[in-house]
Amino acid sequence: MTARVLLVEDSPMISSGLKALLESAGFDVTVATTATEAAAWGGMTGPSVMLLDINLPDGDGLTVIGALAARGLKPLTTYAMTGHTDSTTRARCIAAGCEDVLLKPVPVRQLLRIVSEAVA
Amino acid sequence: MPDTRAPKNGAEIESAKDRLARLEAELIEAQRVIADLRDRDVLKTQFLSNISHDLRTPLTAIITHAEILREGILGEVSPKQRESISVIITGGRQLLDMIAEILMHARDSSEPLTLVESEFSIHEVVDQVTALNESLVARKGLTLERCLAADIPRIRADRDKIIHVLTNLLGNAFEFTPGGGRVWLNARMSPENPGNLVLVEVGDTGRGIAPDHHELIFREFAQVDSSASRAHHGTGLGLTIARRFVELHGGRIWVESELGCGSRFFFTLPVRGSAQ
Repeated sequence: MTARVLLVEDSPMISSGLKALLESAGFDVTVATTATEAAAWGGMTGPSVMLLDINLPDGDGLTVIGALAARGLKPLTTYAMTGHTDSTTRARCIAAGCEDVLLKPVPVRQLLRIVSEAVA
Repeated sequence: MPDTRAPKNGAEIESAKDRLARLEAELIEAQRVIADLRDRDVLKTQFLSNISHDLRTPLTAIITHAEILREGILGEVSPKQRESISVIITGGRQLLDMIAEILMHARDSSEPLTLVESEFSIHEVVDQVTALNESLVARKGLTLERCLAADIPRIRADRDKIIHVLTNLLGNAFEFTPGGGRVWLNARMSPENPGNLVLVEVGDTGRGIAPDHHELIFREFAQVDSSASRAHHGTGLGLTIARRFVELHGGRIWVESELGCGSRFFFTLPVRGSAQ
């Protein structure tokens, strides 16, 4: 079965590239541009991987993890994506349930490897 | 004792009252100007912070799409095309670094920086920073040497800020050292205070810095060559931020160098944190 990736990113310029990248590797990618949209994920089960921009137009991206968990749809693995990976941000992301924090722009080979390993 | 205060006549009292009133008016005006300037400074900092953030988004998109093209994910590219795309990516990443520096400087101006201290090994941090630079060192044909004394204890400091300082000093050393040159990173307990001060040195065999520029390079926005056609570009904030971070820890940063003789940057760091 194709692994499902939920890409939460408010910039279409960035999400279009990442979507094309992940789809080229065979992943089924859904893009959400806000925390509300991401929390309304429509799958019967949670996504295999969630790539989560933590600064979203409607607030803190990390709230999506709790919102999905409350519906029994918590992603198997979540990676936070942000422009600055200082210790405080990292600690907040890990405490919220993220596997790791990726510094944007994430090198595309690294991103493919991370997502592939997460669904392996 | 006689009273030396001479009695004032009515005209003198009136004149003094006038002067007092004028001074009070000037004081009020000065306070208004200061408040206005402070407001403008906050606005400027907010603007810088917003614009830096807004610049990152399209730049992230440019770099991401360029990497996708370079990797051939959307179709095969020729070696010449790949080379050209690599220049876009390198230029984009340089711009991102500069934006990060401006953002950090803007934040520092608007709210006092604080340290998030933890205990770590300087060896681990040096490993992390040198690993990140391996490909650049190889590409420029440089030699990177490191010598870390075994007796350095674990230190209490803000790990991110120390990484930033080392990254900045090494980045400068790589940039200003021509291919075939040597860059080194040494750390040992300081002879001045071997019980509680680590001394870190980042040196290079690059073009060096004239002694009358040794202070200038740590000043904000300063560039030794400030002409538009200068060979090396940057925000002029890297060393200012490095100095700020080192001093926040209670350490000191300085350079020893002469033109044509390479540079040696040093900084000290208390082992037991800034609040000891």
